[in-house]
Amino acid sequence: MFYVLPRFNYYRPNSLDEVLKLINELENYKILAGGTDLLIDMRIKRYTPRNIVDINRINELQYIREDNEYIRIGSLTRLQDIIESNIIREKLPLLYNAVYNMASWQIRNRATIGGNLCNASPAADTAPPLMVYNAKLVVSSINGSREISILDFFKGPRETDLRNNELLVEIKIPKPHIHGYSYRKIGRRNAFTLSIVAIATYVEIENNIFRDVRIALNSVAPKPVRAWSVEEYLKNKRIDREEIYKASELVVKDISPISDVRASADYRRKLSIILIRETLFEASKITG
Amino acid sequence: MKVRFILNNREVEVDVDPREILLDTLRYRFGLKSVKRGCERGECGTCTVLINDKPVYSCMVLTVQVEGQRITTVEGLVNDDLFKKIIVSFAEKGAIQCGFCTPGFILTAYALYRIKDKPSIEDILKALEGNLCRCTGYKKIVDALTSIRS
Amino acid sequence: MSIEDPYELLSKWFEAKEYLVVGKSVTRSDSIEKAIGKARFLEDYYEPGRMLFVKQLLSTEPHAIIESIDYSDALKLTNIVGVFTAKNIPGINNVGYALPDQPLLAEGKVRYHGEPIALIASWDIDDAFKALEMIRVKYKRLTPIYDPLEAMERKDILIHDEQGSNIAFTTKVRKGDIERGFSESSTIVKNTYKTHHQEHAYLETEAALAIPDIQGRINIISCAQYPHLAQRIVSKVLGIPASNIRIITPYIGGAFGGKDDEGPLVAAKAALVAYLTGKPAFLIYSREESIRIHPKREATIIEYTSGVDDNGYLKAIKVKIIHDTGAYTNRGPYILWRATMHSSGPYYVPNAWVDGYCVYTNKVPQGSFRGFGNPSIQFAVESQMDELAKKLGIDPIELRLKNLLRPGMDTITGQKLDHSVGVADLVDKLARKMEWSKVRRELEDWNKRSNRYKRGLGIGVAWHGISTSRGVPDWSNAYIKIERDGSVNVYTGIVEIGQGTPTTSYRQIVAEALGAPLEYINVVFGTTDAPDTGATHASRGTSIGAIGVLVAAAKIRERLNRLASDILKTNPENIVIRNGRVFDKISNREIRWEELIQEAYNRGVEVSATGYFYLPKGKFDDKIGQGFAYPAYSFVAVAVLVEIDTWTGKVRVLKAWPGLAAGKIINPTQVEGQIEGAIAQGIGYVLYEKLEFGSKGEILNADLTDYVIPTIQDVTLDVEKPVYVEDKYKYGPFGAKGVGEMAFIPLPAAIANAVSHALNKRVTTLPLTPENVLKLIGGL
Repeated sequence: MFYVLPRFNYYRPNSLDEVLKLINELENYKILAGGTDLLIDMRIKRYTPRNIVDINRINELQYIREDNEYIRIGSLTRLQDIIESNIIREKLPLLYNAVYNMASWQIRNRATIGGNLCNASPAADTAPPLMVYNAKLVVSSINGSREISILDFFKGPRETDLRNNELLVEIKIPKPHIHGYSYRKIGRRNAFTLSIVAIATYVEIENNIFRDVRIALNSVAPKPVRAWSVEEYLKNKRIDREEIYKASELVVKDISPISDVRASADYRRKLSIILIRETLFEASKITG
Repeated sequence: MKVRFILNNREVEVDVDPREILLDTLRYRFGLKSVKRGCERGECGTCTVLINDKPVYSCMVLTVQVEGQRITTVEGLVNDDLFKKIIVSFAEKGAIQCGFCTPGFILTAYALYRIKDKPSIEDILKALEGNLCRCTGYKKIVDALTSIRS
Repeated sequence: MSIEDPYELLSKWFEAKEYLVVGKSVTRSDSIEKAIGKARFLEDYYEPGRMLFVKQLLSTEPHAIIESIDYSDALKLTNIVGVFTAKNIPGINNVGYALPDQPLLAEGKVRYHGEPIALIASWDIDDAFKALEMIRVKYKRLTPIYDPLEAMERKDILIHDEQGSNIAFTTKVRKGDIERGFSESSTIVKNTYKTHHQEHAYLETEAALAIPDIQGRINIISCAQYPHLAQRIVSKVLGIPASNIRIITPYIGGAFGGKDDEGPLVAAKAALVAYLTGKPAFLIYSREESIRIHPKREATIIEYTSGVDDNGYLKAIKVKIIHDTGAYTNRGPYILWRATMHSSGPYYVPNAWVDGYCVYTNKVPQGSFRGFGNPSIQFAVESQMDELAKKLGIDPIELRLKNLLRPGMDTITGQKLDHSVGVADLVDKLARKMEWSKVRRELEDWNKRSNRYKRGLGIGVAWHGISTSRGVPDWSNAYIKIERDGSVNVYTGIVEIGQGTPTTSYRQIVAEALGAPLEYINVVFGTTDAPDTGATHASRGTSIGAIGVLVAAAKIRERLNRLASDILKTNPENIVIRNGRVFDKISNREIRWEELIQEAYNRGVEVSATGYFYLPKGKFDDKIGQGFAYPAYSFVAVAVLVEIDTWTGKVRVLKAWPGLAAGKIINPTQVEGQIEGAIAQGIGYVLYEKLEFGSKGEILNADLTDYVIPTIQDVTLDVEKPVYVEDKYKYGPFGAKGVGEMAFIPLPAAIANAVSHALNKRVTTLPLTPENVLKLIGGL
């Protein structure tokens, strides 16, 4: 009544094979997972797909599993299931924190992790934690499967490395070593809001030395990004307040924020520096 | 397209265009006016319903997607003891003003109390983040919900 | 018969020492039906396919001549019944409230991006949307102006040619001699303040359903806050008598003033389609349309100079107020007028010079929103008070207590306030209760220890004139009838927008005055079937609207007392009617309420009455801005504690202490609800909410994703129980004054003062988004 959805053909396959066959044949289609982004995009006519492939029947894509090397999350896993999982909470605290701060309960009950990634918004909140965990994305087509590093997955706003006949089926996260971590999201209000900047910071520390530093941010570039300059600077340096201050300033080399209705580029730049500093302090358990 | 589902404990079947949203189906095919339209894009919470006991925005669900699922609106809970406790507490504490957001709040709160007997204040706030209210300032809503923690 | 003189009746009940139900937290009669989805709102009346669905075509230009509108293709769609523009209006297109400058549908020219141009009537929603894309409007672009300061200067670009200037309206106050006042001042503070628009974001968008009926009448289910005004506007647009138009108001999902401006226009658009087609017509605004079309809280620029003498007494103020009224004045002149007459704050100021300008720009119009021009000016006043206190080296509360109005003093317009002025008591009581000085000191110590986070405590004190401004007539009325079974129907034009007036205070007042059981009282609200009651705005639903209710009930009660005294063989003065028991307090003889009413019907005692009351007002001289401004003022004070993260710029309100001097409090729970809701709305306004305009003056964030209102995690739940000073007003029902808007009014000031206290920097511009806070402290 406020909007009309464009007409489309609706497909509801019952198995992964069926999905892959369908998307191999269909042109101009969109995958319907949680629908919490897609239905808005169709209402505002960002997308007017002729075909909708509803994958909600594909229960085989809903799981959170752990083996010796990896934690594996099925692409259709709902965000709420992610924060209710002990595996995620204990082993992937950055992902837990990011999803906990996403949207609302009602949306998390529908929205899926695969949908959040494939929608490829610069503000995707599951991206920063997965980027610091060096997650791999398993994509399938009728021709088989391949793995894409999440670092190569995003190509730009709403663009991914997925080919037209491919479906994201699994997010595969190497089990992290013992690490320090910190997550922050700043939005325009405290809850149920898009990020102005969100940041996931991961550190491995040995004898007071940063052995590994990984930092990822969203909403400060056309796609979620790693703060490579900061990471490089700090690696193998002693934990030191001054060094963290210096390093945090380097993030401006890694980001290219814009001004929009949510914030100015200047504020995003400033916040990126501040949050890197703050999360590094917290992750390495020193006080600012 | 034919869709069968359980609506307020009753098995129902409708024949809908795939682009019909659950919000419209509930309001216009079943007359369930508690399900309100505030934004039609998942921003306000007034169209909250329960699907398999979990709160979701009915404006973000195509009706064809609920095949085989269990949908609950406040109309289906009028004889439920927990529900009655919640609405009486809302009324007595002054948690209802214009009332447009109220059924959504009550369903979300009901879903919370179904999984947690004694939710903490943090649990209550976390659960209700996705229900906007422009009248009450939320204080009396929180009062109504904390006062029924058994 | 003098026994039915409204003044005597009001004063009799004003003197009451004990109350049966007034002053008690009676539960609203509508709660349960709202909770279970039975309460009807506007869209609940729509039946697809059986009524026309109306869609609006909106301007995509900020300032342009409409050269042509071509909808011939749209008419070819099977379900389209018609496309209607200004030229189809049978009556008068001009619907401006304050000035005749606003068309219902754009005529000749568009003046803002989002202005309604045409109405599409369709049996089917899909086709309505299709038609929308098929209509071609040819525009000739004119240069737009968005900045009010520029608009004031430009004579070459006129938004309304007929006005000859972009200044639509001016106001002034001239009191005493400001040159002398400033020369007597030892401390002078001068600042320029800026405030921004606010979107109402009521959760139910605007809608109306117009249904033609058999006698050429039109029934309209409307969301307007003033049914009789909607009736008048529809009558004007259609060119048919008001008596042929009937307005019914269902429950409304929030209004806050927005539906006072837009509601009658929604009704008129639906009515126009119904009238032209002879079919029921339903119009609903999408969220985006709602945000783009309807008027917003005033955006202002205020230059303010104030001076105090060595003893801390205010000597003079000089104020310039500029309101960006957008494309149309709507109620802008009234809003500016209110701001001007409140520009001293609730303080005694001997010398004042105030100029107000209501200025056109090519943006969405300015309109009514809780506080009506007053929050922005009180923000300026109260910021000035804190700055003066700081310069004088005295406590902000102390400075206020020296200057607050007291009974017998005159206002900035020279109006003497002889009673009902409880503001000094209020501030004193609030400061003591919350231990203001102790909390301030503790915070200052806390700040010395804390580097990143800073805390501050601030207060805003405000006043708000009750009823319409100036000598503009205001009245109250209601119709009450007691049915044969003893149940009671009350008819009022006041609507139920969430505030609970008809569903609590009216029931309480009628039950109190009649002595009938509370559950016997039914209130039929929001209908033109009731006498014209005035609008549900300006905090007047109970304060003014219920005067008529009380007068009508009191008239019937006098008759019942006489009847009962006759039956019980005693004097009317000995009759007590309480909760349905009717007895003689001497003999204790008793009959039941139902028996009394039955007897009234048997003996020919009339048990129906109207309660017309015309509010006495004085004169106002516009030339000097002096005279009678308002019959009475409500007063409010709110203190807030804030915490600021100086790294990110984020501000949180941790606690609020409200206080109110609004006469008799009829229903404490409902009043708390208004206070808590206003505080949350104020927090939203000051910390989060901001309209973003694009290069065409279009609103870029016309949705609730990017126009962010507070969630449950963004407000403070720590709102103390209000402090009340019941400074009763002689014509208010039981002495009540207005409440609904009050707590919003000092909120911007209170938060700004708290933030200024925490950071030791004066806030002069709102909103206090993290980004603006960082700028304030030089972090960006």
